[in-house]
Amino acid sequence: MQFVIAETLEHALELMASGSRPIAGGTDLVVGARQGKEPLPDALVAIDRLGVLASIDGGTGEDGEIVIGACVSHATIAGHGDIIDLVPGLADGSSLVGSPATRHVGTIGGNIMNASPAMDTGAPLLAAGAAVEVASTRGSRLLAVADLWLGPGQTSVDSDELCVAVHIPRPGPRTSSAYVRLEYRRTMEIAVVGAGAQVSLSDDGSVASASVALTAVAPVIIAVQGLSEVVGLQPGEAARTVARLASEQSRPISDLRASDRYRRHTVGVMASRAVLAACRRAAGEEIAVPVNRSEGIGAGYPGDAVANTTADGVEL
Amino acid sequence: MQQGSGTTKFVRADGPDKVTGSGRYAADMVLPGMLFAAFRYAEVSHARIVELDVEAARSMPGVLAVLTDDDVPDVRYGAGVADRTLFARGVVRFEGEVVAAVAATTPEAARSAADAIVFEYEELPAIVDVEQAIEPVSPLVHAGWEDYEASTERGHNVASYSSITLGDTDTALAAAHTVVTSRYVADASHAVPIEPRAVLAQWEGDKVTIWSSTQVPFDAQAGVCETLEMPANRVRVVVPHLGGGFGGKCGFHFEAHVAALARAARRPVKLVFTRREEFTAPDRRREGMVIELTSGLDADGRIVARTGEVLIDCGAYIADGAFFPQVASMHIAGPYSIPNVSIEASLVYTNHQPSGSVRAPTAPQGCWAVESHTDELAETVGLDPVEFRRLNAVREGATGPSGQVYGPIGLLDCIDAAVASASYGTDLAADEAVGVAVGWWPTFAVPSGAYVKINGDGSGQIITGAQECGTGSVMTLCQLAAEEVGLNPEDFQLVYQDTAAGPWDMGATGSQTLVNNGRAVVAASQQIADALKKLAADQLEASPDDIELLEGQARVVGTPAASIAIGELAAIAAGGELLLGHGSGPPPVAPEISATCVGDQGMAAWVAPQFSCHAIRVKVDRDTGVVRVLSVAAAHDSGTIINPMGAQGQVHGGVLMGIGQALSEGTVYDDRGNQMNPGLLEYKLQTIADAPPISIDFVGVAAPDGGPRGSKGIAEAPNVATAAAIANGIAKVVGARLTQLPMKPERVWEASSGAAEAGGR
Repeated sequence: MQFVIAETLEHALELMASGSRPIAGGTDLVVGARQGKEPLPDALVAIDRLGVLASIDGGTGEDGEIVIGACVSHATIAGHGDIIDLVPGLADGSSLVGSPATRHVGTIGGNIMNASPAMDTGAPLLAAGAAVEVASTRGSRLLAVADLWLGPGQTSVDSDELCVAVHIPRPGPRTSSAYVRLEYRRTMEIAVVGAGAQVSLSDDGSVASASVALTAVAPVIIAVQGLSEVVGLQPGEAARTVARLASEQSRPISDLRASDRYRRHTVGVMASRAVLAACRRAAGEEIAVPVNRSEGIGAGYPGDAVANTTADGVEL
Repeated sequence: MQQGSGTTKFVRADGPDKVTGSGRYAADMVLPGMLFAAFRYAEVSHARIVELDVEAARSMPGVLAVLTDDDVPDVRYGAGVADRTLFARGVVRFEGEVVAAVAATTPEAARSAADAIVFEYEELPAIVDVEQAIEPVSPLVHAGWEDYEASTERGHNVASYSSITLGDTDTALAAAHTVVTSRYVADASHAVPIEPRAVLAQWEGDKVTIWSSTQVPFDAQAGVCETLEMPANRVRVVVPHLGGGFGGKCGFHFEAHVAALARAARRPVKLVFTRREEFTAPDRRREGMVIELTSGLDADGRIVARTGEVLIDCGAYIADGAFFPQVASMHIAGPYSIPNVSIEASLVYTNHQPSGSVRAPTAPQGCWAVESHTDELAETVGLDPVEFRRLNAVREGATGPSGQVYGPIGLLDCIDAAVASASYGTDLAADEAVGVAVGWWPTFAVPSGAYVKINGDGSGQIITGAQECGTGSVMTLCQLAAEEVGLNPEDFQLVYQDTAAGPWDMGATGSQTLVNNGRAVVAASQQIADALKKLAADQLEASPDDIELLEGQARVVGTPAASIAIGELAAIAAGGELLLGHGSGPPPVAPEISATCVGDQGMAAWVAPQFSCHAIRVKVDRDTGVVRVLSVAAAHDSGTIINPMGAQGQVHGGVLMGIGQALSEGTVYDDRGNQMNPGLLEYKLQTIADAPPISIDFVGVAAPDGGPRGSKGIAEAPNVATAAAIANGIAKVVGARLTQLPMKPERVWEASSGAAEAGGR
C-alpha cells in the first residue's frame, strides 16, 4: 500500500487524480476495512495536516456564509462558539458522533462523504440548506448536500474530487436549529433514527418557515416535504404536523437496531422534538448542545446539560 | 450500616501496571520463533462433514502445522456429559465449532491457510427452539447421546435435568386463595470481556507451558491433560494480567488446540481472538431461558405453593452447564419461605453456541422472571411489593424452598436498607418509578490451597493457586495474611495465576476466592504466626501463648515494653528453621435439606447464602420506550466485608452489567442458529457514561459457615437482582409487564403502547 502525506491541497488533488483515496480521521475507512465492508485502498493520501482544510469561518465574509473546512473535527464543531450561536443543530449532531476519540479525529468532511444514512451531521446540514465544496485538478464546484447523497456509501462526486469545505447559508433573524436522535446509550452510539430542524419564527411566535431532515429512515438523509403546511402554526401544532409528515414520508428498513414500524413511529417523535427545540432556540431560549443531553432524550439524563460527563461529573 | 472489618485502604498490587499500560496481557507476549494460530470454523450451525482436506493448506508458504480431529488423541470430554471433542468429528453442531487449526509464520499466512482448507458439508436441520427441541419428534443435536459417558439425568435433547420437590403443590394450589401463572422468556447474552482471549504455548521436551487468558488455570490444565493425555506435572498454565472475564473465560477452551499446534510445529504458537471470535467460538454464553411459573397465595398474601418449569438453552455442548437446571430452579423458587414447591428444569441441547457460566449463571434471568411474578402476586392481593416481600422472605430460623433452615441471614435487613436508600414511597414524576427486587446466590464451598513464607528480611510472600479476573479478589489475601502475622498488607507480595507454583484452586469463578483461598491463606499464615510466637517466646523469655503479633512487632501481652520486631525474628529464622506455612482448611459442609431432588447437582443446599435487595429508580420515555436508570440502591448481605473498596467495586460492576442485561444486551439469532450481532456496534454494552449513581449498603451479617471472619462471596450477587428491579420499575410506569429480556426500547414501547391502547395506563 502507498501512503502519502499531502504537502499542499494541490499535491493531494494530484494524487487523487492518479487514483489515491483521501484519509483524514480514518474513523470510517479503517473500521470499515476491519469489518470487511471494503478493503483499504491501494493508495492513500493523508489530508489531515492541510491547514487550509482545518479552519472555520463563522460568517465573517460578505454574504455571511459559514464555511467549515472538511478536516475540522466533530469535537471542534461541537465546541465552536459561532456554530453554537448560528447553527446549533450542527453542533448537536457533531457532539453526538461516536465516542470522544471518534469526535477528536473524525471530520465533518469524512462524515458527509461516507454517505451513511445514519450520519449525525447530515440532517442538520440538509435542514440548514448547506452545500459542499469539492475540488479536483479540474477545478472546484459547489454542490447542495441534497444533491450529494445517492445511497448508502454513494455520492454524486467523482473519484478524483475531494471535499474541501462545507458552506452553510447564514440563518436569518429569529431562526435557529436543533438535531435530536434516538439512541440506546449515551456514548459509542449510532442513530437509530434522528431528525434535524431549522425554524424561523414570525413576531407572533408562529412558524414562518421550517425545514426538517431525517436520519436513518431511508437510503439517504431525506428532507421532509410539504412543510408549507406548518407555516403560521404555533410551535406545538407545527411539531405535531411535522411528526405526522416525517412518519408518513420515512421509508425505513428493519434491522438489528429497530423494526421499520418502530423507526417510522420514533422518527416522528424525534422530528417533533427537533422542531420544538429549534423553535425555543429561535425564540431566544438557550438550550445547551446537544439537545439529547439537555432535554434528556434517548439515554441522556434529564436536566443534564453537560455533554460527555458521567453522572458523577467525571469528564470523558 | 457496617462497612466491613477492614480499615486499611491499600493500592491494588496490579493497579499501577494496568493503569500505566506497563502490565502485560497474554496477547502482548512474544517468544523467539513464535508462530500464529488461526482456526477454521464450521460457520454453519448443524451439518454433516462431507469432506475435510487440509493438504493444500499444509503446503502453503509459512505454514508449519495444520491439525484436525485426526491429529489429536481420541478423547471425548465434558463435565457431566462427555459430549465434546477438541475438533469437530463427523458433525458440526454450532457455527463457532473448530474444524481445523493452523500455525504459520504470520497471522495473515495462518488465516489464508485456514481459509484454504477444503471443508464441504451437508446441512442438517438447525435445532434452535428449546420448546420444540424437547418434543420427541425433534431431530437430535447429538444422535449418539445415549452412548456418551454421563453423570446427569438426561433425555431427548436434554443434557441435564433437575427437580426440586417440597411438600404437596397439587393440594396446596387447589386450596389456595389466589393462583397466578406467568411466563417469561430471556434472550441469550454474552460476558464480553474487553480483552479477547489469547493463548500462547511453548514446549520444552515433554513439558508444555501455556500462557492463557483464562479465569480458571487449573481447569484449563485439567482439560489439556485429559485431551492430550498428559500428567498434570507436565502441563503448566500461567495467566498474565487478565483483561476481564465475567465468567466468559471460565472453563477449558483452546489451550489444548494451541499446545497441539506448538507440538506439531515444534515452535511456540500464539492464538489471539478477534472480537467476533470472542462472541462466537467459546463454550460460554449466558443461556437463553423460557420460564413458566405458578404461585398460590393464601388470603393474607403468603405464598403457599409454587410450581415452575424452566427450559435452558444449552447450545451444542454441555460445557459447565450440568448444574444450571438446579440453580435455575432455586432462582425460580426465590428466597422465600414456600412450604410446597415443585420445579423442574432442563438444559436443552440446540445448535446455538454452548452456554456456560457467565457471572451468576441463570440467576439474573431467573430472578427477573420470579421477581416480576412477585410484583404480579403483590398486585393481585393488593399488597405493596415491598410489604409482600417482607411477608414472604426467608429469615433466620425460617425454612426455604428446598427445605433448608437458615442461620443468621440478612435479607430483611437488605430490604430495609435498599428501600430507605431509594426513598421508596415518595412521590415521583408520572414517568418515573422505583422498582424493587430481591435476589440470592450460593457461596461455593470447595477445596483450595496456599503457601505463605516470610523471607529473611521480614517481607512476606503468598504463593497461591488463586486467580483473579480483574476483581482484585486476590489482593484481599494480603490483608488476611497480614492480620494473622502482625504485618501490613503492603509487606506481602503475591505469586498467583500459575499452576506450577500454587496449590489447586477453582479459579476466578463462583465468587469463591476470598471464602476458600482466604481460608487457605489464613491456615498457612497461622502456621507462620505459631512459629513467630515460638521464636519470640524464646527471645523474650515468655510463653508462646502470651505473645501477640501486631504492627510488625511480637509483644508479650500486657507487657508492651517486652517486644521484638518481626523482621528480627525473620532474620533469626533465616539462619535456622525457615518461616514456611501451607494451608487448605476443610471446606464448609453443605447444609441438610428436606426437598427431594431428581438429578441433584448439589445446588439446592446452599452454604452461606448471599442475599440482596436492589431498589432502582427508572424513567421511561413512553414515546420511544427508552428507559433511563436514574439511581440504584443496592443492599447486600455478603457476610462480613473484609475489603470494603474491593466489595464496592464488585457491586458497581455487577450493577452496571445487570443494567446491560436488563436494557440493551441481547444476542440475536437468525433462524439457522447464527448470531447476528457478534460485535460491539450491535451488541449494546452499557458504557461508563450510562452509569447511574449507585449507593451501596452491606448489611454485614457474619456467616457462621462462610469464609474467613464470616465472609461470603460478592462477585456475582450484584447483577442477580438488577434486571428484576428495573423490570418492576418499568412495569409501574408503563402499566404493563415486559415478558422478554432484554427490555429493549422497542419492546418497552410495544408494551407501553399496548397498555395505552387498552386504556390500562
